[in-house]
Order: sequence, then structure tokens, then C-alpha cells
Amino acid sequence: MTDDLVLDVRDVKKSYEGLEVLKGIGFGLRRGETKVLVGPSGSGKSTLLRCINHLTPPDEGRIFLSGEEVLEKNIDAMRARIGFVFQDFNLFSHLTVLDNVRICQVKVKGVAADVATERAQQELERVGLGDKASAYPAELSGGQQQRVSIARALAMDPDVLLFDEPTSALDPELTGEVVRVMQKLASDGMTMVVVTHEMSFARQAADELIFMENGYIIEQGPPQQLFSSAANDRTRAFLNVIAEHG
Amino acid sequence: MLDFLRFGIEWLPALLKGVPLTLALWVIAITLGCLLGLILCWARVYGNRLCYWISTVYIELFRGTPMLVQMFFIYLGLPHVGIVFDAFTAAVIAITLNSAAYQAEYFRGSVLSVPRGQMVAARACGMSKWQAIRHIMLPQALRRVIPQWSNEAIIELKFTSIAYTIGVVEITAIAQDIGSRTLDFFQVFLWAGLIYLVLTSTVASLLSWVERRTHVPGVTTN
Amino acid sequence: MCREPDLDIYDVLLRDFPFLLKGLGVAVVLLVALLLIGFVLGMAICLLQLYGPRTLLVQWPLKVYERVFRGVPIIIMLFIFYYGVSGIYDISAFAAAVLAMGLRSAAYQSQIFRSAFQSVPAGQMMAARAMGMSKIKAIRHIVFPQSARHAIGPWTNEFSSEIKETSLAYVIGVVELTRQAHYIITSTQGNVLMVFAVVALLYFVLNRAGNSLLYAFERKLAVPGFEK
Repeated sequence: MTDDLVLDVRDVKKSYEGLEVLKGIGFGLRRGETKVLVGPSGSGKSTLLRCINHLTPPDEGRIFLSGEEVLEKNIDAMRARIGFVFQDFNLFSHLTVLDNVRICQVKVKGVAADVATERAQQELERVGLGDKASAYPAELSGGQQQRVSIARALAMDPDVLLFDEPTSALDPELTGEVVRVMQKLASDGMTMVVVTHEMSFARQAADELIFMENGYIIEQGPPQQLFSSAANDRTRAFLNVIAEHG
Repeated sequence: MLDFLRFGIEWLPALLKGVPLTLALWVIAITLGCLLGLILCWARVYGNRLCYWISTVYIELFRGTPMLVQMFFIYLGLPHVGIVFDAFTAAVIAITLNSAAYQAEYFRGSVLSVPRGQMVAARACGMSKWQAIRHIMLPQALRRVIPQWSNEAIIELKFTSIAYTIGVVEITAIAQDIGSRTLDFFQVFLWAGLIYLVLTSTVASLLSWVERRTHVPGVTTN
Repeated sequence: MCREPDLDIYDVLLRDFPFLLKGLGVAVVLLVALLLIGFVLGMAICLLQLYGPRTLLVQWPLKVYERVFRGVPIIIMLFIFYYGVSGIYDISAFAAAVLAMGLRSAAYQSQIFRSAFQSVPAGQMMAARAMGMSKIKAIRHIVFPQSARHAIGPWTNEFSSEIKETSLAYVIGVVELTRQAHYIITSTQGNVLMVFAVVALLYFVLNRAGNSLLYAFERKLAVPGFEK
């Protein structure tokens, strides 16, 4: 039944020092689907994302990637198949853009150097930075750095891509270029989970919107439906506020 | 262990007699070194070309050569051109000159780390250059320099032991003397090491207390 | 004291210069040996402190080690090792100096490495792990190359201070540069000032040469975002 799910998150719970941040979260993702997680800050969206690849190991619950369970013992291999895009990019600052996109292909997947280079160049073209291959992260704008980090994740050929507020650390005028790349990926059929406050992206690219609050999923459904007629008051209130300010 | 304690009871009082001289040597030298260091720093940051070069050459020379050689140069070398110091004075001069070179560099680093806007703002308020240095730059620079200055002060405290080589009767010299009398160099130097450890630890906690007391939010190194 | 004409000292210096060079050679060997011991041990201490077990049983002795070696003058340490070890095992003054100074340098180098590792932002390790690198791979390919760039500046300072401190091995009778200078002085009664000036110059040149090499290395490693 769940075999066709690329990502299957079941009843995940996580507490920090007695405070329960995730109180039993489950959702699934089919190939090519994009789901957007929204909710007030502190609702557990980022924690949920980090639980998926065990950057924050969950206390309870199970996570399956293409039918295979993500466990502590296979975590490195699983992480290689789960792309992760950080809020603050975290490009490897001592490596050129090209090497950033190459290194994990070579060191983690064991791809031959020339194949990795070719792939890296392709992915950089895809995010519109083919001409920046020899630059260092410090020489790029925030928006460019984030696009490189997307290319870095793509080059690993991941089953699924997770975005943790990819535009939150950017100046407003730089969010557009990153959002456009993400929209293109979504329409190219990439499987993605995105935590973001960019409602334009949610409207246009999401197959489903998941509203989280206080560690629970309050409501989920197609974005048009949630934006126009959310069943839950809190969902409606939140989306109204976001729509006004975002 | 018991042997070690017995040795300590017998000889510790004699060893401790060296502490005042060690501390005197240290306090005088780092105080004078501080003054000379400030002058060197001023010459390098605000001085004209000549001041800059003299200060730079001085700092490079003293930082580039060992303290031991500097001390020998002053105590054993200078008499050949008619300049004679007693051992204690020679040691004070050597440590002062050496420490000044390091202190100057730490002061310079901290002065340069005070944002340029501070000087501009002070002048814009109508302060003279001197007033700006005295009331705005120096208080910030001195706060920033405390951690490095503390390190330097402790290094120099340990370096006072070098004075024993020219015959200053401080802790190390007394230890050496006790060693040749008892022929138990190992134990006596263990005790001497313990005394130094207590001294350096005390100074370190004292200086970090000063650092905490003078701390102002936002004015730190880095 | 200064009976001989000034001219003599130049002849003496010229004649005895090979001895000074020999002393310089001993100083350099001492320096390399102590830095090597300090590097290996200092790195081990640093890795244990950062990635080792957090138990007091491991961390406390490391802390005491650093405190002791950083709090006691090197002259005292030289004597302790020279007289202490020779009580158990017959050890040359040179070996005692290498040991005392190497172990002490480890206390300093461990701190240099530790703050270099700590100045690599946590996100770098996290990103590497998120891409599927093991902890060891992440340290090797991501954290280590970056911390090396942070460490090289402070390490150059440590190199400089150790060059100068090799002169202190003189006190336990290692025949390094300063001791050679003393031999020349006692044998000639000549112009001591000149001898020490030349010795100082040799240290100065050695220090400068070493620094330039390390600066060149630092520049070679420098990439945008890691400039000095």
C-alpha cells in the first residue's frame, strides 16, 4: 500500500528536555510530489525535516525512504539519498563552487572524478551558475550560494529533496532567484518537502500544503483549498497573516 | 611521596625567599614594558615615518631574538663598551625591553580593532585628537587587549627565571643552589615548579577577574 | 677585561663561525624534534578534548597537563626532565630538552588546534553529515582543511617562540647556539658584545626564514573567505 511512497514518515515524536516538539507526525510523499510545510515558528517544521535524515534523531516513529527504513546503522547511506538544503546554505567554505558540488559524489558515492565534474557542471548550469564553477563561496551573494547548495544536493541524485527555510536568510531581493530554481525543480518532477514562508511558491508549486502547529499536523490539502477555505480556524488565521505580510 | 613532602618542609622556606625578588623583577619589568610598549604602539600607529620605522625595527629585533641572548648582551656584552649594570638591573632592562616589543604589538592590534567610526565620531563631537585617544580609543583598546596582555604578563613571569643565568637570586637560582647542596635537583625543581605554578595560576585568575570587572557588552576581542 | 684590540674579535668570529653554525644546527634539530612531538601529541590532545569521551577521567588529566606545562617556566621543566629522567634512565641533555620542550609545546599546540577546530562553524560538519559523510570523512575532508587554515597563523607564532626558547636548553648543557657563543667568549675574553650580536642575528635570520616559509604556505592555502 505504501510501497509507491518515496518518503513515508510515520508517527514521529521528538522532545527536547521534556518539551515535546513533535507529537506524532505522519505524512507520505509520492514520486514527483512537492509538499510545503507551513506553520508558526516553533511549530516543529524544521525539527520534523531534521528528523527525516536523523540530523535530529527522532525519539519515536519510523521513516521509510523508497520502502527502506532510515535507521542509525544505515544513516550515511540514506543521507546520501536525501538531499538537504539549509537555511544558511552551509557551503564548504574552503572549496570552490565546483568542488562543493563534486566532493560528496566522489567521497560518499565513489563516483569517478571526471564523471563527478561533468555532473557538477550540469547541475550548476541547471541552477544558472555554470559560470561560477571556480569561484569560492565567500565570493558569491547569498542567493547564489543557496543555488549552489541546491546544485550540491541535486548532484547526489537524491530520492527526495528537503528544504529548510531556504530563503529565510536571504535579503528580500535575492529570494526570487532561489524560488524560481525551486519552482523549476518542482515542475521537472523532483520529489520535495519544503519548509518556507514563501506563499507564492506554495501556491504555484505545492501539490499539498501541510499546516503544523504545536507539534501536530492541523490540516493538509491542496494549496488552493487551504488558502480559500481552510477547515480549521487557526489554519485560516495563520494563512491570512502570512498572505498579508509575505 | 613522603620523601617529597619531607624535602618540601625542609627546603620550601628557603625557596619561598626567592618569591619577592621574582615578583619584584616581574612587576617592575612589565610595568616599564607597558609604558614603553604604549609609546612604541603610538609611534607605529599615529607617529610619522621616522617614528614608525624606529618602532618597527625595534619590535622586529626584540621579537626575533631570544630573551636569554638579550640578557647576556646587556649583562655580559655592554660592559665591553663601558656600560655596566648589576645583575638585577640588567634583568629588569632585558625583560622590559623584550616585553615592550610584544606589548606594543598587542596594543597596536587592539587599537586597530577599534572601529574607525569611533575616532571620527569623537572628533565630530569636537574632541581634540588627544582627547579622542584618551577618552574614546584608549578605554576601548585597553579592554580589548586584556586577554592577550594577560598571556604576555604570564609569559614574562615565567621568563623571570632566565635571570638566574646572570646570577639574580630569584626562585630558580635558589633552587639551583639548594640542588647543589642536597644533590637532589629533581625534587627541588619539582618544588620550584609548584611555586611557579601557584604564582602563574594566581596571576591568571587575578587578570581574568580584572577582565570580567571591566567588561562592557559589545567591547570584546573579535 | 677588554685588553685585546677590537680587530681580534672579527678574526675570532671568523675562525669560530663553524662552531656557531654547528650550534645553530643543534638548535634547528632540537626545534624540529620538539615541534614534531608537540604537533603529534598536541593534535591527539585536541582531538580527545573535542571528540573524545566527555568523562572527567579523560578530560581532567588533559586539563591538568595543559595547566602544568603552560604554568611552569621552561627552565624549570628542563631541569625537572634532565634530573628526573636521568634518575631512572640515563638520558642525554639533548634528549631531555627535546622531551621537556616537546611535551610543553604539545600543551600550546593543542590549544591552537582546539580553537582552530572550534572556529569552523557547526553548519559545516552538519552539512557534510547531511550529505552522507561519516564523522571521520567529514573531519578529514571538511573540518580539517578549514581548521588548518585557521591554525597556521597562531602556529607560526608558536614556531617563533620555540626557536627562541631552544636557547634555554643552554641551562642543562645542550651545546646549541647560545652555549657555543659562551664557549667562544670564555676562550677568547674578546668582545662579548660582538659575539652576542652575531648570535642574535643568527636567531633572527632563522626566525625570519622560518616565518617567510610559513607565510608562503599560508598564502598558498588562502582562499576567499580564509584570508589573513
